[in-house]
Amino acid sequence: MNGRARVGVVFRKEFREVFRDRRTVIGVVISPLLITPLLFMVLGMFIASEGRKMRSEVMTVGVVGMAGAPTLMKALGAPPNLRLESIEESGAEEAIRTRKVRAVAVLPKDSEKRLASSRSVEVRLMLDAGNDKSTAAAQRLRAALQVAGGRLLKVRLENLGLPSDFASPFVVKEAPIKTGGARGTLIVAGLLPYLLALACFSSGIYAANDTVAGEKERGTLETLLVSPATRRELVMGKFLAVAAVCCVGSVLSVVGMSIPFFSGLKVFAWLSQGGMRLSATGIGVTILMQLPLAFLFAGMLLTVSTFARNQKEAQTYLGPMMMAIIVPAMMSMVAGAEAPRVMAVVPVLNASLIIKQALSGTVDPVFMGLALATSLAYAGLAVAVCTRLFERESVLLRT
Amino acid sequence: MFVAAIRPRQRGRPITPGTVAGTKRADRELRQADMIRTQAISKTFSGRKRGEVRAVDAVTLECRSGEVFGVLGPNGAGKTTLLRMLGTILSPTSGSAEVAGYDVQTQAPLVRASIGYLSGTTAPYDRLTPREVLAYFGALQGMGTEKVAQRTDAVLHALDMEEFADRRCERLSTGQRQKVNIARAILHEPPVLFLDEPTAGLDVLASRTVMRFIRQSRDEGRTVVFSTHIMAEVESICDRIAVIHKGRLAATGTMAELRERVGGGSFEQVFLKLIGEVTEA
Repeated sequence: MNGRARVGVVFRKEFREVFRDRRTVIGVVISPLLITPLLFMVLGMFIASEGRKMRSEVMTVGVVGMAGAPTLMKALGAPPNLRLESIEESGAEEAIRTRKVRAVAVLPKDSEKRLASSRSVEVRLMLDAGNDKSTAAAQRLRAALQVAGGRLLKVRLENLGLPSDFASPFVVKEAPIKTGGARGTLIVAGLLPYLLALACFSSGIYAANDTVAGEKERGTLETLLVSPATRRELVMGKFLAVAAVCCVGSVLSVVGMSIPFFSGLKVFAWLSQGGMRLSATGIGVTILMQLPLAFLFAGMLLTVSTFARNQKEAQTYLGPMMMAIIVPAMMSMVAGAEAPRVMAVVPVLNASLIIKQALSGTVDPVFMGLALATSLAYAGLAVAVCTRLFERESVLLRT
Repeated sequence: MFVAAIRPRQRGRPITPGTVAGTKRADRELRQADMIRTQAISKTFSGRKRGEVRAVDAVTLECRSGEVFGVLGPNGAGKTTLLRMLGTILSPTSGSAEVAGYDVQTQAPLVRASIGYLSGTTAPYDRLTPREVLAYFGALQGMGTEKVAQRTDAVLHALDMEEFADRRCERLSTGQRQKVNIARAILHEPPVLFLDEPTAGLDVLASRTVMRFIRQSRDEGRTVVFSTHIMAEVESICDRIAVIHKGRLAATGTMAELRERVGGGSFEQVFLKLIGEVTEA
């Protein structure tokens, strides 16, 4: 039997064994296919319910100098879902902090006089920037003031015998091209690569821990070491099995995340309302970029598993490693899809950026080629490190 | 029945070095006495906490074909390290060793194809069935599918495992699990067996299965190297014994020879006197 055949024997055994474990089935199959769409559904319901609540909630806004500005108050009228209350400026901050009012509009003492002389009135909006309801109340008041200001401007222009668009020399309207990415896609394209990188990594954790650290713990590794398979063949078989589990986890995660977009179910309508869509090419490129990532993660996970005495110790080492994955994956949320090519050599970030490009419909072939090549090189490096560890008695046989 | 089905060779005929299935026999003559031969074999471990530890210190011994060779010593004596070196799991720091005519350092794959290895702490793969475990190790040994199936049936029958052959190992009793380990170790009909404290943690019934297996292996002509710290097991089964203490070989010989060397007494007294000699030295 040649070495390649023995690698195949180890691979098949490991792959079959790992999928017989309930934890793998739940983590790699059930979770992405059922739990992810379910989470999207619950998230959508929560967002919809919160949005409804926020829109229908009447918010109280304090106004300083209300009595001295009858014209402004008349122009403002009764804005929808806003209750305007007179308040003293000295107590404004405390009132916002204690949430008696959500925001405060401070009108200048000479506002009536300035309006009468067709001048502008500076309205200072006080709000708690760290509170969503306070920012929402300020937003509503700002919108109401803009509407009132528009009405007053129209009257002023009419009095002067000028056309209503006199004060608007330019009217700019956005016209997104039909073949471009939808606005909502930006949100998905930012979030999805991060989620997929984590899904790919976490899919392989159990498989990697079980396949070496688990064998050390159970004492089965010794019996494997006295078989005619070389250590390199054993590592390759185990590595391919972990990489295959990562690939299965990744592909099923992509499928699970695509379900809400293609199901047509009403519960996922919130995703398409913002104009989000996933194209078949986008999904294809996403899966393609997940593969080198799966190889890289498999190499890293197997290295940790080989180094650890047992599964518990391997789990401990995975904490910092998880952070090393999360940081570049998160960087892709901030970085633009058209990132400089130097980023194609940063592991994890490169794959995440390609996925982001694919979802935004702007794949740079050079960037993609570089990202694929470097990801595979890093994966090869991780396997080489793992093989070296596997050949070291002091690492392999310590328990 | 047990004997014939495990290995369809002529009973009692010793297996000579180089007769392992599927390997090219070394083109040289070896005496029967040299199924296993070590020459001043040593192993030193280095660690930051404990510094340098000489686990096995210049051990020279020979095991003959078709004998049960006991390696006796207290915990930490170096028995496991010695067996691991002979099984090619560990590389010797110095010295040399041959197993079944092959050098453990330069011909490791041939050594591995010639041995069966069983330790008391080994567990079978929980999520595989005994039949699958045997198929896995048979394939790693380079046995063809047909040969694996044929040997699996024979071994399962011989060890009375047919009833649970397709049940996952996680659902088996301790004794049944140890039978799986035994079956794995002899599936490829190795001429040499290394058994590292194979009865550790086993109940009386499971221990009896192991002891019966050792006797049967000897009857079939296999060389069995059996490490233990249990005197009764050594007395009842070993043809020759090596007493090891602190990594050094205290004595080798038959039970009678060892008794004669220290002037008689129970085997426990003989053992204590022999390791005492090492301590004093």
